[in-house]
Amino acid sequence: MKPGSLFLIFLAYGLVMGITGLAFYGLAGFSQGGTDTLITPDLQLLNDPYIIQILLFSIKQAGLSALLSVLLAIPLARAIYFLPRLAGRTLFLKLCLLSFVMPTLVLITGLVALSGRSGLLTPWLGEDWNLYGLQGILLAHIYLNMPLAVRVLCQQLNHIPDTSWRLAQQLKFNRWQLFYRVEWPAVQQTIWLLLAFIFVLCFNSFAVVLALGGGPASTTLEVAIYQALKYDFNLSEALTLAWLQFLIAGLIFLVMARMGKVRWLSADTHSQRWQPQWPVWQRHVYSAGYYLSWLVLLLPMIALLPSVIDARVEQISLAVMLDSTLYSLLLASGSAILATLLAWWLLLAVRHAVNVHKPGWRVLFQWLATHTLVAPAMVLSTGLYILLLPLIDLERWGITWLLLLNSVLLLPFVVSQIQPRLLQFDQQYHYLAQNLKLSPVQSVQVIWPFVRPVISSAFSLALLLALGDVAVFSIFGGSERMTLPWLIYSYAGSYRIAEAALVSLLLLALCAILVWLFERSYHRPVKGTAAAPRNSTSEYNKQET
Amino acid sequence: MDWKNKLLLSLATGLLLFNNLTYAGIKTLNIYTYDSFVSEWGPGPQLEKAFEAQCQCDIKFVAAEDGVSILNRMRIEGKKSKADVLLGLDNGLMEETRRLGFVKTHELPLDHLKAELNWQDKQFMPFDYGYFAFIYDSRKISQPANSLSELINSDVQVIYQDPRTSTPGQGLMTWMKAVYGDKTAEQWQQLAGHTVTVTKGWWEAYSMFLEGGSDYVLSYTTSPAYHAVVEGHNHYKAALFSEGHVTQTEVAAIAHTSQQPELAREFIRFLTSEAAQKIIPVTNWMLPVIDQVELPDAFDQLIQPEQIGFSPAEIAQQRKQWLREWRRSASQ
Amino acid sequence: MSEGLLINRLIVNYGVSDLHYQLNVEPGECLAIQGESGVGKTTLLYVIAGFQAACQGEVLWQGRDILMLQADQRPVSMLFQEYNLFEHLTVWQNLILGFHDSVPEQALRQAAEQLLVAEQLNKLPGELSGGQRQRIGLIRTLLRPEPLILLDEPFAELDAKTRQLAAQWVREVALKENKTLLLVTHHQEDVEIVADRKWVLTGESF
Repeated sequence: MKPGSLFLIFLAYGLVMGITGLAFYGLAGFSQGGTDTLITPDLQLLNDPYIIQILLFSIKQAGLSALLSVLLAIPLARAIYFLPRLAGRTLFLKLCLLSFVMPTLVLITGLVALSGRSGLLTPWLGEDWNLYGLQGILLAHIYLNMPLAVRVLCQQLNHIPDTSWRLAQQLKFNRWQLFYRVEWPAVQQTIWLLLAFIFVLCFNSFAVVLALGGGPASTTLEVAIYQALKYDFNLSEALTLAWLQFLIAGLIFLVMARMGKVRWLSADTHSQRWQPQWPVWQRHVYSAGYYLSWLVLLLPMIALLPSVIDARVEQISLAVMLDSTLYSLLLASGSAILATLLAWWLLLAVRHAVNVHKPGWRVLFQWLATHTLVAPAMVLSTGLYILLLPLIDLERWGITWLLLLNSVLLLPFVVSQIQPRLLQFDQQYHYLAQNLKLSPVQSVQVIWPFVRPVISSAFSLALLLALGDVAVFSIFGGSERMTLPWLIYSYAGSYRIAEAALVSLLLLALCAILVWLFERSYHRPVKGTAAAPRNSTSEYNKQET
Repeated sequence: MDWKNKLLLSLATGLLLFNNLTYAGIKTLNIYTYDSFVSEWGPGPQLEKAFEAQCQCDIKFVAAEDGVSILNRMRIEGKKSKADVLLGLDNGLMEETRRLGFVKTHELPLDHLKAELNWQDKQFMPFDYGYFAFIYDSRKISQPANSLSELINSDVQVIYQDPRTSTPGQGLMTWMKAVYGDKTAEQWQQLAGHTVTVTKGWWEAYSMFLEGGSDYVLSYTTSPAYHAVVEGHNHYKAALFSEGHVTQTEVAAIAHTSQQPELAREFIRFLTSEAAQKIIPVTNWMLPVIDQVELPDAFDQLIQPEQIGFSPAEIAQQRKQWLREWRRSASQ
Repeated sequence: MSEGLLINRLIVNYGVSDLHYQLNVEPGECLAIQGESGVGKTTLLYVIAGFQAACQGEVLWQGRDILMLQADQRPVSMLFQEYNLFEHLTVWQNLILGFHDSVPEQALRQAAEQLLVAEQLNKLPGELSGGQRQRIGLIRTLLRPEPLILLDEPFAELDAKTRQLAAQWVREVALKENKTLLLVTHHQEDVEIVADRKWVLTGESF
C-alpha cells in the first residue's frame, strides 16, 4: 500500500466514523443544566410495552416488505432475462431505478390519488379495501424496493456464463434442475443481501409509515426517536431508542455483510448469448406479469397529473422553480461526487483485506464503510446539529455539513454498487497487475475503463437519492435558497397543494431525465474499450462472419 | 497566472464579499421563526418591508422547521444565542419556554387585543390565533356534524394529525380532553373506528383530504378563507361544534439573549399594529388579534366558535399522560 | 554462492500437507518443470512471484532473499494459466503494460509478426482465440525487462505447428536477453526446444 492511498483511507474512515461518533457524542454530551456528565441511555424504556410494541411492528412490517419485494422481483427479473422479445426491457429497468429513487412524499401523493378513499382505482379494489394500515405501508415499501430487487437480480442473472447454459443443455437438465443448478446459485446470495438491505431500509422508514400507517398502532422506532428528540427534547430517551435501532439494524446488516461472500460466477468473457427456451404458456404468463408491472410502476406517477391541472400556473414563479432546480442539482452533485470519492477510498481498504485473505477485516471495513445505512439518519443529523450549533456559524457553514452528512448517508448505496466490480477486478487481475508493476497512473488507466460503467451508475444513483433529501436539508439547509423537495414542502405547507403536485412532477421529471442520461452513458462504448464486453457488438459480428 | 487560477481567485473573492455583506451602521434584528412564516407566500417578507421602513434597522429571519424547532434551537444555543425575538411559538410551547428562562417581559400594553383572547401574559404577545376545526366539502356533505360527539359517533371518514408530531394533533388531543375529561379514552377508540389515517403533519392530512381521501380533516376555522380568497372556491367549510373549539395562539417574545431589547420590543409592538395585523391573516391564514382589521369578505363568513380548552400551564403538565392515553386507545 | 536462482529448503503449506522444494537454477538457464497434476508446480511459481507465502526456507535471487519483497518489487515476469490480458483493454494496450521507462514498440510488433498475431493488435482480447491470447501474453512476458521469467503452461492452447514456432521464439529471446526461465509444461517437445534441463517434481520430501 502506497503512503498516499494509506493517507486517503485513513481520512475517509476517519470522516465516516467521525461523523457518527460526533453525532452520538453531540447527543450524549449535551448538558442542559450545566453538568458535564454524559447523558446515559435510559434502560427502563426497554420495559415499556409501548416500545416493545413499536419494536415488534417495525420488525414485522420491515420483514414483510423485504420478503414480498424480493418474491415479486424474482419472476419479473426472470421474465426480463429469459424473454428477450419483451418490449421495452431496458426502458423498464430505467423505470425501476426511477421508482427506487422516487421521493416518498411524491409517492404517497400518487398512491393516495390512486387507491385512497376516492382514488382512481378504488372502485375496483373491493368493498373492504383500505389503503391505510399495514397494507398501505407494504404497498409503498414494495413500490420503492421491488424495482431495486428487479434491477439487481437481472444484473446477477446476466452474469451466468453461456457455457453454463450450454453445459446444462448437454446434460439434459430438466426445468427444475435448470433453475436449481444454474439460476439459483447465481442469485442466491444476492437474494439474501437484498432481503437484508430492504429490511434495513424499511426498518428505518418514517414518512411512509406515518402517512399510510393509519394510526398509532403502526409506529416505527424512527417515529419514537423523532418524538423524543423533537417534541420532548428527551435526549436520554432518544439515545436509548437510537442505540436500540442501531443494534438491531446493525446486527442484521452485519449478518448480511458476512453472507455477501466474495463469489462470482464468471469473469467477463466474450461469448454469444444463449439461453434455454421456455414453453409457450410460461412465456405468456411471465409476459403478462411484466406488462402489468409496467402499468403498476407508472400509475402513481400518472395519478399526479389531475391535481397538477388545478395548479394556478400564473402564481408560480418560474424563477423560483429554476433556482430551486439548479440549487438542488448543485447540492446533489456535490454530495454524490463526495460520496463516490469516499466510497473509492473506503473500498481500497476492503480490497486490500480481500487481496491478503483477511475475511474478518473485510467484514469490518465493509461494515464501517456502510454503517450509516443502519444509523438512524435523524440521530446523525440532530446529534451533529446539537454539537455544531454552539460552535460554528451554521448560517455560513451549514451547506458544508449538509454535503458531508448527505454523502456519508449515500455511502451504503454507492459502496454496494461499486464494490462487486472492484473485487471482480482484483479477483481476475490482482496478480497480473502486481506482476506488471503498474505505476499509480497506469493502475488508474487500467482499472478506469473496467469500472467506469458502475462508477457512473453509482454516481447517478447517489445523485438521484440526494435530490430527494429533505431530512438533512431541514436541519442544515439555509433559509435563503430552497431545493425542490423543500419547495414542495413549502407549497404544501401553505395550502398550495396543486402547486406542490406540480413541483413534485417537475422533480420526478428531473429524476427521469437524469436516469435517462446516465443509463445512456452506461451503455455507450468508449473508444478503445468496450463498456460492457458481454454485450459489445463486435462479438455478434464475429458470430456472423 | 493562468485562467484557472484567475477563475478560482474571482470565485473566492466573490464568496468573501458575499459573506461580509453587512449594512454598516444599521442595527440587525435577529428573529427566530419557522420557515413557512418567511416563505415567499408567508407574512415574513411583507412584515420585514413594513417594519424596516419605520425602524432604520435590518431584519434577519432565522428559520427553523417549525415552532418546536425554534425552542429546541434556543435550548441548544443556550446563552450564546443571537436571537432578539422568538416568533411563532404557540400556547402549547409557552410554559416550557418560560420555564427555561428564554424570554424577557415585554412591558407592552395589552388592552388593544381582542377581548375574547383574555390575554394577560407579561412575556408572550399573541400575533394571530385560530380555532381548530374539522373542514368538509359542502358539495359532498350537506348535513355536517354539529358537535364533536356527533362526529365521533358517526361513521364519516376522518383524517387528523399525530399529536406526537404536530400542533393540530395536539390541539385535537386538548379538545378531546376539554370535552370528555376522564372519558376521553373510549371516545378515542370510537373515533379510531372511522379514522382513515393519522399523519405526521398538517399538510399531509390536508392534501389527502383535498385529494378526496376523507370526509373531514382537522385544520383551522380559517382554512375556508384561503380557498375563497386565493382560489375563489366556496365549497370548503368548517364545521361548527356545539361543545366549543380549542384555539391555537401564536406568540412572539423578546429573547433573553437580546442585546437590543428596545428594538425587539418595537417589533413586537409592531406585530399587533393594524398594519401588521392586516398582513398576517391573509398570509399565515389565521385570525387577527385586534378588532377592526380590514380583511377580505371571506373572513366575515367564517364560523364564530365558542372557546374552550386549558391554560398553557395545564397543557404542559398533562401532555405526556394524554399522549399515552391516546396511544393506547387509538391503536386498538 | 549462485548468481541465479537458489531455492533452499523451501516449505510451502498446501492444504493438509506441506510441499518441499530444493532447486538451483544458473543465471541464463532455461529449466522445464514437469510432474503430475497437483504436485505443486504452479504453487512454486506463485511463491517465487510473490503470490503465495512460504512457511520456511529461502528463495535467493543473485544472493538476495526475495521472499521478503512484495510481489511488485520482485525481478519476475510471469505468464499465468489464465487472466493474462485485461479484457476491457485492446490487445495493444495490454502489450505495452509492464515496462518501466520506454516501451520497446518495435520489438513488440516484430514479435507479433513472428508469432502470427500482428493482425490482432487493435482488437479486444475477447475477439481472439485462446491460442492467440496465449501468444500475446507470451510476447509481453518475455519482452518485459525482468530477468526472471516464469511460464505456467504457456503453450497449452496452441496447435502443434504454432506450438513449435512459439517455443522456438521463447528459446531465442531467452538466450538473446539472457533471461533465467522456469517453464511448467506437460510436453516433452517443449522441454527439448526450450529447456537446458528438465526437473521432475514428485511431491516427495527432499
